[in-house]
Order: sequence, then structure tokens, then C-alpha cells
Amino acid sequence: MTTGARVEIAGLTKRFGAFVAVDDLTFTVEPGRITGFLGPNGAGKTTTLRMLLGLIHPTSGTATIDGAAYAALASPLRVVGAALEATDFHPGRSGRDHLRVLAATHDVPDSRVDELLQLTGIPAFARRRAGAYSMGMRQRLALAAALLGDPQVLILDEPANGLDPEGIRWLRGFLRYLSAEQGKTILVSSHLLQEVEQTVDDVVIIANGKLVKQGTMAQMQGGGGTLVRTSDVDRLAAALGERGIDTVPDDHGGLLAQTDDLRAVGEVAYAAGLPVWELTSKAADLEAFFLDVTAGGNRNLGGTPGGRVTGQEGAA
Amino acid sequence: MRAAVRAELLKLFTTRLWWGMAIAVFVAGAGFALLFGILLTSDTLAEQAGPGGIPTGDSVQIANSVYTGGLSVGYLLMLTIGVMQIGMEYRHKTITSTFLAIPRRARAMVGKVVALLVVAAGYGLLSLVGSVSVGAIVLRLRGAEAFPSTEIVRTLALSLLVLGLWALIGLGLGILIPNQVAALLIGIGTAWIVEPLLGLAIKATDVGREHIAPYLPTEATNAIINAVQSSPDDVRLSWWAAAFALGGWAALLAVPGIWRTVRQDVS
Repeated sequence: MTTGARVEIAGLTKRFGAFVAVDDLTFTVEPGRITGFLGPNGAGKTTTLRMLLGLIHPTSGTATIDGAAYAALASPLRVVGAALEATDFHPGRSGRDHLRVLAATHDVPDSRVDELLQLTGIPAFARRRAGAYSMGMRQRLALAAALLGDPQVLILDEPANGLDPEGIRWLRGFLRYLSAEQGKTILVSSHLLQEVEQTVDDVVIIANGKLVKQGTMAQMQGGGGTLVRTSDVDRLAAALGERGIDTVPDDHGGLLAQTDDLRAVGEVAYAAGLPVWELTSKAADLEAFFLDVTAGGNRNLGGTPGGRVTGQEGAA
Repeated sequence: MRAAVRAELLKLFTTRLWWGMAIAVFVAGAGFALLFGILLTSDTLAEQAGPGGIPTGDSVQIANSVYTGGLSVGYLLMLTIGVMQIGMEYRHKTITSTFLAIPRRARAMVGKVVALLVVAAGYGLLSLVGSVSVGAIVLRLRGAEAFPSTEIVRTLALSLLVLGLWALIGLGLGILIPNQVAALLIGIGTAWIVEPLLGLAIKATDVGREHIAPYLPTEATNAIINAVQSSPDDVRLSWWAAAFALGGWAALLAVPGIWRTVRQDVS
């Protein structure tokens, strides 16, 4: 069983000319947990990950894995596995050979390559030239490459991009397995909250290169409650009150119960003889929060309604 | 380091480029040996050796030229390999995984350099198998000496060095001109068209003919392998001075290229 390592980003800043891609970013990725690295497109996620991996030199600040910079690792693939871009393959080289090239740098045997092709579910395509691969197969191959050295830390940049719903479900389960069964530290970036919200333990949200929010998923979702709609709001409120569940009426004639237990609310309504027209967990509505905190934050669109960024920096 | 070299070699041998190159190198070696073997031993040539820009040389130079005839194509192919080794990494963004696996970039780049030298030597041997076998037969049939001197062996060995150095020139070009197609066009265009024309212009003056022209990459290449001379007036470096000159060109392009790759952001 591999134990995870802690990833620490401290005061990380990257300027490309006048454009500040990453702005004094500080956060930690805890060992053995899955952390979602969220933000709209162009928020600076990829630049941050590339700095962590020693591919881009930071203007200032540090990014370390268990206290060490990536470039200082003697056998980096055995410590950190990264899947950065889905297109990182030579179209004339087979997927299996791509892995073999990487394996050669770390004296990883070919048997491990085949094992990973099996694990990521692409053995049948492994000997075909990568130019013919679908986006989903590329993602799986990239994941296999990241896992080659059985690293403690996995860094995945938009791994769900291009996956079909079945693929996303597979990925979700796979990440859960790597985290729970193998104790790996996983940092997974995404611009879509729904892709990761069922998978991650922790969330780091950035916009315009700055940290917006960091916390556990439970904290993010906490206090959401349950929205219920019925024919007689007052009677349901009273019935729920008897069960010790506080309620507040919402603006649209619904009732917001201060619990995440949908079943209890449903049962109370049933016992009271009230029809349930809608029963929704507000906890799942982190999406609204995500959109909210990142709203007006897409500098790449040029518009800066929030006035947080000045000038046409998105041009960089 | 050993692992870096092995990975680089594996990169080459896992795409289709390598065997296409192998065929081209072999055919060029054998084909030019046949062509030169016939041309350089033809009677008219032997009798009117010298004037009129007709290639001249003694039996050693003729044998050298026959065996290394494919080199003019061979070194351009090595230039191409050098450009593509790094160019394909940029083009398909595999440079990211290369530097993820070997974050000490200087080490990764030295791995590339060593791999290029090994590959060039391998292709060189393949070319020689073609050129020496065909060339020796042709020379014998034409009544010329196939192996007039042991100097031939030195030439053959040096031709491998020439190929390696041209591959490094390609590597440097491939980095300094990140667009692979542009790098290839500029590299081959310079070696085949610009440099010979420039050479002619430079040779118009005595200073140029004696002190500049011999150091040009193609001239130096010809001097290293002691091929027949297109003009008896040309000043030629000794083989080792020429090797240094060509090595200088390789360093001039490869070193800044590597330095730039080591420092540059990879995004």
C-alpha cells in the first residue's frame, strides 16, 4: 500500500509579461485524499499544475511534493504521476510504445506497461497507432502513463474531458479505488463541478489565478438542506417541526428543511398525508455556489463585470 | 543517463520514420557508389583530369568518393533526423512527458545528443554496407583499385562522425526553429543551395577562398572524408581540422538550442 504525499503550493505566482496567470496562490493537497482543483477555463489551473511539475518556472513562490520540488526528485515518476493534456502522444506511435518509452526512463518493466493497459481498459487498442485513438482512449492512456511508476501522488488535468458518461463513471470509480484502496493523493482539475463533485473529498476553487475557496466537500455543501414542495406548506412545516426538523419557506412556495435526510422528509410528508411534489437536496447545489464564486471571473472572454481584472489581459 | 539514452532510442524505433530512413540511407549509399564508381573511373575523366571544374583525385580520393558518395544525401537525412527528433516532441507536445520523466532537462537533452550520435553511426554503417559492397565491385570491374590505402578505413570511420555531427546540427536547428517544416526547409535549403552559392561568392576573393570557404559545413565535410575535389584551386583543411570545424558548427547550433530548451517554459 502506497502512502500519499502532501502537495504544498505557497505564494505561487506566474506572470507572462503584464498578464498574471497565477496570483499568489496558496493551498495544500492533503495525503490520501482526492482534491478537486476547480475554476473556469483560463483560471490558471493548468499553469499551476505545470509549475508544480517543474515545466513552467514560477515568477515567485514554491510548489512542493513532500517538501521537494518536482525537478529535485530522483525518480519523479515513482513519486508523482501526471496526466496533463489529452493530446500528448505521437500519432505514429502506439499507446503501448508510448508507455514503453516512459518506462525506459525509470527501468519499469514492460510487464507493468501491459498491466496498466489492462487496468485502464485499453489493451485492445494498445498496439494501434495513437493517431487513431478517440479522446476517451487518450485519457485512459494518459492515466496509464501517470500510474506507470506507481506514484504516491496523481495529478490529473481535466481527466474527464472527452469521456462519455460511461467513461466518467468509470473514472470516478477508478479514482475512488486509487484513493481508498491505495491511499494515493489525487489532485484533479476540472472546469465542470458536476464532473468531480461526487468524487472529491476536498475542493480548491480558483478564478483569475487567485484562490477563491478551499475546504472539504462537506463544508462546501453543509447547510444546504432539503427543498420540498407540497400542497400545504404550513401543515408540512408543523409535521416536520414535530420531528425536530426546522424549516423555512423559500421564495417560490416551497419549504426548505434544515436537514440533508431526504428520506425523513418524505416519510413525514407521507405520514401527514401530504403529496410530495418535489424533493431536492440543496446540498447538491454546489453548482450554484461554484458559478457564483467564479461569476464574472472569466478574463478570457474579455468582459470583466466584476472589475477584478483591468485591461485586456486575456489576450496574453 | 543510460536510461535517458535508451528512452530516446526507443522513441525513434517506435515510429515508422526509422525504417524509411534506413532504406533511404542504404539506397543512397549503394546508388551513389554505383554512380560515382562509373563516373570517376571513366576514361575521359581520367585523361583530362583537372581543368574545367571536373572532379579530380588520385586513386585514394576516388575510392573515398565512391564509398562516401551517398554521404551528401546521408548527412541531409541525418539533419532531418536531428530536426525531427526534437521537432516532433514540440509538434505533438510529447516534450511534456519527456521532461516529466526526466525533469533534469540537461540530462534529457544529453540523452538526445548521445542517442543521435548512436543512431547516426548506425545509419552510417548501414550506408557503408551498401556503398562499400557496391562500390568495391564497380571499382574492380572498372579496373580501379578498390582499396588503394588504409586511409580508406579512416575515411569510412570519419564518415560516421560526419553523420553524427550533421544530426546535431539538425537538433540545434530543430530547437531554434520550433516549426519542424520550416526547420527542415531552412536546414536542407541552406546546406544544398545557400551554402554552395555563398561558397562560390566567398571564393571570389583570395581571403575568402583560403580562410573562410574551407570552414563552411559542406566544404569541411568534404575535407573530412577527403573526397575528390571539384576544383584544384580550392583550399582544403586537413581531416582533423575539418572535423573540428564541423564540430564547431554542430556546437554553434546545438548548444544554444539545448540551453534554450533547458530554460524555456513548457506549456
